[in-house]
Amino acid sequence: MKPAKPAKPVKPTTRRTDKPEAATPRPKKPAVSTSRAKKKPAPSPKAQRAPRTKPEPPPVVVEVTSLRKTYGSTVAVDDIDLTVRRGSMFGVVGPNGAGKTTTLSMITGLLRPDSGTVLVAGLDVWRDPIAAKRVTGVLPDRMRLFDRLTGAQLLYYCGMLHGLDRSTASSRTEDLGVALGIEGSLNRPVRDYSIGMVKKISLAAAMIHSPRVLVLDEPFESVDPVSTSQAIDLLQRYTASGGTVLLSSHNMALVERVCDSVAVIVDGSVLAVGTLDEVRGGRSLEERFVELAGGRVAVEGLEWLTTFSD
Amino acid sequence: MVDHILRLKLALLGSAFRGAASAVRALLVLLLAGGVGTALIMLAHEVQVERADHRAALIIVASAIALGIVVAPLSAGLGSALEPRRFAAFPVPRGQLALGIMLAGVVGVPGALAITLGIAFEIAWADTDKAGLAILAGVIGAIVLVMASQYLVAVTAQLAVSSAAVRMMTAAARLTIALALGAAGLAVFLVQSGEDTEGLIEVASVVAATPLGFLWAAPDGVDAEIAWRLFGGAVAVAAMIAAWPWVVRRIVEAPQRIRSEPAIRGLGWFDLVPATASAAIAARSLLYWTRDARYRAVIIALPVAPALMMVALAVAGAPVPLLWLIPVPVFALFLGWFSHNDVAYDHSAMWMHVAAPLRGFSDRWGRVVPPLLIGTPLILLASPLAALWSEVPEVYPAVVGTGLGLLLTGLGVSSVSSALTPYPAARPGAGPWDQPPLLGAAAGWTQSFTLLAILAFMAPSLTLAVMGLMDEDPEMLEVAGWAGGATGFGMLVLGILIGGFVFRRRAPELLGLLMRT
Repeated sequence: MKPAKPAKPVKPTTRRTDKPEAATPRPKKPAVSTSRAKKKPAPSPKAQRAPRTKPEPPPVVVEVTSLRKTYGSTVAVDDIDLTVRRGSMFGVVGPNGAGKTTTLSMITGLLRPDSGTVLVAGLDVWRDPIAAKRVTGVLPDRMRLFDRLTGAQLLYYCGMLHGLDRSTASSRTEDLGVALGIEGSLNRPVRDYSIGMVKKISLAAAMIHSPRVLVLDEPFESVDPVSTSQAIDLLQRYTASGGTVLLSSHNMALVERVCDSVAVIVDGSVLAVGTLDEVRGGRSLEERFVELAGGRVAVEGLEWLTTFSD
Repeated sequence: MVDHILRLKLALLGSAFRGAASAVRALLVLLLAGGVGTALIMLAHEVQVERADHRAALIIVASAIALGIVVAPLSAGLGSALEPRRFAAFPVPRGQLALGIMLAGVVGVPGALAITLGIAFEIAWADTDKAGLAILAGVIGAIVLVMASQYLVAVTAQLAVSSAAVRMMTAAARLTIALALGAAGLAVFLVQSGEDTEGLIEVASVVAATPLGFLWAAPDGVDAEIAWRLFGGAVAVAAMIAAWPWVVRRIVEAPQRIRSEPAIRGLGWFDLVPATASAAIAARSLLYWTRDARYRAVIIALPVAPALMMVALAVAGAPVPLLWLIPVPVFALFLGWFSHNDVAYDHSAMWMHVAAPLRGFSDRWGRVVPPLLIGTPLILLASPLAALWSEVPEVYPAVVGTGLGLLLTGLGVSSVSSALTPYPAARPGAGPWDQPPLLGAAAGWTQSFTLLAILAFMAPSLTLAVMGLMDEDPEMLEVAGWAGGATGFGMLVLGILIGGFVFRRRAPELLGLLMRT
């Protein structure tokens, strides 16, 4: 059950057998100590925002080296390198079809790369998948869930697949339900959920085994603002206690708000990577992003659109 | 207001011919209805009511057609039916609404057929001293049909709270109509061939005792019974007409039911199984087997295959008692074989298994549990009966052994093939008979190859069983039984191990395959 990686002296996050009387040890649970989220504000995220000013950077948790994936003659991901450090909230941004989902799928073990390596907490995802998947939480984009199960059943199922025991799975289901504001819907089948609710239950499913790394593909798409802040709150508490989040998004404002590091991927290659400030270079992320992604194409040939017909 | 509703009904009927596809469908429906109506009138002229078997056939045909007419409005989907709740938003006086809908029920194909049935019934009894009674019974019968069909539409519309439920009801109605037509045809056929008329008369007396045949059997009886049946029919019509305005008002005024499914407390199956990955997968799988229409269709269809085989062989002249050896092995074979594409039914939800630190063994084993739970008890219960009815001495061990062997071998083969070569299946939430968007040639290969593989693995014990059967050698039959069971056990274990290995190695590719469909 213990991952081979010794690089985490501060807080071991993999506990698979919480005692049933989980009320007291709860503060030790960094990933899912949730029911108190509202009473005690989390340690200021600002502390996480500027980790680069410290002399010693935290250890690397996700290391992607020359990852490559082609479909026929199309290169979907072209020798990407990424380094994500512990405690960071790392955003992958890019235009549609840039290869974000492909990259994240290869990091989570859902899509086999043509070449390259992925290390999660020191474990090679493609050599030692079982150990690596134990420490990874996944929220894929546009994949179905077992939607005949109720929300509670789905989370329990996910806990079982990750080897949790019964009482841990049940108590964490409750905690996550409260933290994400879906506790009232947990007894309804997931197929009746709205798209935003499906995202939320997926996020809960990704977190239920308290992984060291969360890989979230478009986690906030079609989630309402209130739920988004709730989820961000949860994620920030998670990173503050040593968890690491790797997420992709189209929403630049959101990435600017929550991420401390960013990688811009265009056409399967990383065009810019670094801390948020490094990447945007004094401008807004959106401006920088549009510039990197090829800039605005001057609109030509649509003259008829400017001469009105009446 | 009443004429408005009638005009609306006519417009609805006319709209069925708009657009090429729906016009063709409407024409086909008309042809079918016209054919049925013509056949009814023609048969009515042929009937000789002084013959008992003809009277029996008359009761059966009339009752069967009546059943078909009652459910006919449902077979087109509820879309075209005039259902009281649709008028809830309009300021229509309730009494007029009730009257209008009731009259509108006469307009249209089912109404016309009901009238035709009544007329045909009268023609059949014409030229006898009971002609007058038959006219009365026919009129009452037609009214009962129209009214009952109105009630059925109103009630079903309240029950059809989801699109899945509507599809189910439409399918059920069509099936009922097909069965009714089949039963009517069979009765006619039996009378003409003159075979088994006693059976026919017996069935007719049973049907006459049900509300379905209550009126159609009226002229058949003696005075008191005739009076009683006609009186009962009249009371039914009066009650249905009297209650109709009340029902309409109630439906229009009561709040609409949308999915009154009670919230599920607890975790269901998950609370009953151990807290392990394979047990959770088994519970999830079981839940899908029992709740998902795609699986349920299979459970319903499975007994049909052996039944059809038996009928075909019996018609071909095989000795009937021996045919009882067919159902158990055939059922077991197809139940085990059905799982050969199991992962495809998960569609992309399979990512949960791929993203989890899951042993391939757990996935394979969990998926095998539901068919085992369904099949094993059925085989154990059905085998002694089948052995008994087959009248072959001491055949029981062979039946149980080959049955279990086929089921377990099938599950073993399926464990490997569903990890190796899944092909597109109907999507989650699809209706039971929906086809997947594309079915390549691979599907056919996988289907036939898995079926052949199961039979090949079981060939030794099946051969033994057949040899034992031919030589009437109880010892050989027992050996065949043990051989079948042992083959099944070995193949299941082997299949789960190999399938688990393949699953673990190929999980990402498998997911890619499922997502492309």
